[in-house]
Amino acid sequence: MADSIDASRGDGPGKAQETPRPGRGFLRRIVYPLAVIAVIAGVIWYLERGDDGSVSPSGERYGPVDMPAELRLPDVKVAPEEGAMAPDFLLEDIDRGELRLSDLRGKPLIINFWATWCAPCRKEMPQFVEAYNKYKGEGLEIVAVNLQEGKSIASKFADDYGMDFTVAVDRDGEVGDQYHLLGLPTTYFVGRDGVIQSVFTGPFEAEERGTSVQGAIGASELEQRIEEILASAEAP
Amino acid sequence: MQAGKAIGGGKASVAVLGRAAALVLNPLRAVWWLFTNVRFGTVLLALLALISLVGVAIPQLPVNVRGDSVAEAQWLVPKEGTYGFLTDPMAAVGLFDVFHTFWFAMLLATTVASTGAYIVSRLPGIWTSITRPRKRVPDRYFEMAPSRYATAEALDPGRLETALKRQRYRVERYTEGEVNYLFADRFAWAQLGTLLTHAAVIVFILSAVVSRMDAFESGLFLAEGSTLPVFPVWNTEQIQVELIDAVGEFSLDGQALDYRSEMVIYKNGEEVKRCSSTVNSPCSYEGYRFFQAAYFGFGAAVQVRDTATGNVLYRETLALVDRAPSPRVLIQDADGRTLVDEKLVLTDDLDTGDVVYRGTLIELPDERLLTVGLEDIGGERRLAIFEVGERLDSAALVLREGESAESGGLKVIYVKASMTPAARVADLPLPPDADPSLAAPYLQISNVVYGTNRASEGTATDVSVKDRPPKLTITGLAPQAIALEPGESAEVGGYEYSFLGQREFSGINVKRDRSNYLVWAGAGLIVVGLMITFWVPRRRLWARISSGGSALAGQAPGHARYAEGMQRLAVRAGSETREETQDDD
Repeated sequence: MADSIDASRGDGPGKAQETPRPGRGFLRRIVYPLAVIAVIAGVIWYLERGDDGSVSPSGERYGPVDMPAELRLPDVKVAPEEGAMAPDFLLEDIDRGELRLSDLRGKPLIINFWATWCAPCRKEMPQFVEAYNKYKGEGLEIVAVNLQEGKSIASKFADDYGMDFTVAVDRDGEVGDQYHLLGLPTTYFVGRDGVIQSVFTGPFEAEERGTSVQGAIGASELEQRIEEILASAEAP
Repeated sequence: MQAGKAIGGGKASVAVLGRAAALVLNPLRAVWWLFTNVRFGTVLLALLALISLVGVAIPQLPVNVRGDSVAEAQWLVPKEGTYGFLTDPMAAVGLFDVFHTFWFAMLLATTVASTGAYIVSRLPGIWTSITRPRKRVPDRYFEMAPSRYATAEALDPGRLETALKRQRYRVERYTEGEVNYLFADRFAWAQLGTLLTHAAVIVFILSAVVSRMDAFESGLFLAEGSTLPVFPVWNTEQIQVELIDAVGEFSLDGQALDYRSEMVIYKNGEEVKRCSSTVNSPCSYEGYRFFQAAYFGFGAAVQVRDTATGNVLYRETLALVDRAPSPRVLIQDADGRTLVDEKLVLTDDLDTGDVVYRGTLIELPDERLLTVGLEDIGGERRLAIFEVGERLDSAALVLREGESAESGGLKVIYVKASMTPAARVADLPLPPDADPSLAAPYLQISNVVYGTNRASEGTATDVSVKDRPPKLTITGLAPQAIALEPGESAEVGGYEYSFLGQREFSGINVKRDRSNYLVWAGAGLIVVGLMITFWVPRRRLWARISSGGSALAGQAPGHARYAEGMQRLAVRAGSETREETQDDD
């Protein structure tokens, strides 16, 4: 009896015995999945490929770069900390195309990470402007690295605040990541030999309220640190 | 008979003991038995409900306190007033942080495992029941089925089959000798509905886990024209939000109607989205949702520039969160002409010789000078007006709010006591030659109210400020206060102070909770499962038809009132009388 019932079911042996058409299984099992994977991979590649804005005019990708071997000091590691060599990077310079940090070797250098949205950065920037104007004759270089903002935003701010020193844009934040930033602003003081002499986290503030911004700079923490890197010796 | 039962009971006891022994000897099997036990699952769900209730009833550690042992201890101190000596034991077992305790996580995991095991254990049986249902039942089942119908008449199997097929049953007929048997099944797959509902429990619990592990929330408070990052600076996938316009809409009586933010979202310095966000309709980008969370209308964009170099020294949008007394005063001459009608910004400490009060100097069109201020008399602020000079009929009045009086040929009305947004700004650069011992500059912004078409969209409700631009008054930079309208500047000691304009602020809440998708999926599963269970319940019917009589046996969920339907089917199959209908439900 059960047999007679089962035999009446639609999914009987007729379908099971159907002979597949030659080549159809290959298409379905191999070609179609591969085509789907290829399309997905293509979409991912398209979305992830580097756009023009992250590549320098020389074709090199902006961001952290390896320091040239001839510029490395023996027995001194490369790291974003005091006593180590400042990690090299290549970034877009808002005025001069591109900036490679190691090109500034031999000069006392301040690397200041900032952003226009960062209120302490805005408040301390006039001090860097004043300090640069005061010490640029002695060779001081300042590299203000804007973190993850557009070039137009950084340029307008730099014009308004009179930032005549180098302003670079770290659009995807990789250099900030390379320098292990924990907050903004953060400032590195680098000697002529490329070694970081000190790191200052937070804003340089005028020492006394009521004193003009320019007036406060004379005896400031910032000036003391600048004097240290001005006195540094070049690498042998 | 008694002896037989006794023997039978002994066998059952041995069987139970044997099963219990097997479970003890095989822990995995014991766990499986426990997890697939409906009562155990019910107890777990009840426990979850109870503990969740506890988590709602007892205050829980705020996010900013959790994980900081010192802050947690401080937070617990006032709780001792409520819970007394139980506070410490309650904290020790985690009752102040129920949803983040290990045991709660374990309970969730156990519930997921139990529900999952239940589904897995039931699925094969249900699947078999759906794909290979039992088509033949023992004859005695027709007398004990949950829903049954019996008649002495011989129903017409063909008509019964037709009637069932009309009701979308899948019907199979067969015969044994002279007896016709029939099996009909409708909505067989609906039996999966209960598994969907159980699966929803798992999905909900998983959503809670995902929410806890993956959810992101951050608050931004930013002014029009300003930008803030969503993540800490070390995040290389940084997203920034620029507030283009904060909009507050208000009714004529000043009630808030809606807040809205027009914003631009940047990623790695590139604009990626421009959108509008409200409380209920957030802007979304890459799974992050930007909700309008707050609105503040009283901000002032201020810039300080060094006139020697042209460089900007300071450019900030300041939230004027304090309130300074600002009386609205109306002064008319003898002919009734209005000489003054405004909310006065009080900028100076005036000394009359007897009292010192906060006030300001007003120059009338005829060059008469009045000092107007607020005297604090017994806790009440009264308007005090004194004319400067040697006139015999000098004006001198002290008025309560709403009072008016005449003096010196002037009619003075103290219309209303009101307040003006204000703030003391410690970091505003002072002119190079300023006295550093002076108090920090004090900023007050007047002619701004919620609901003006300058402060925001809406209708002005305050006549005194209508059709006047906002005015920023800064005291503390120079001996006299400077008052600036938008776009105006004043030079003080080599610095140029500019009022760039009045700005509004928005609080933006940034959230990402990918568990939302799971919650929706779980809700969908529950809805679909319940709809299937209640609207299209599975019905199975077995029929035995012979010349000696007919019997129908049916299985359907208890709510289906199946026996009545079976009787109607029998009528359609030729039954003329109702012999016996039974629904055990």
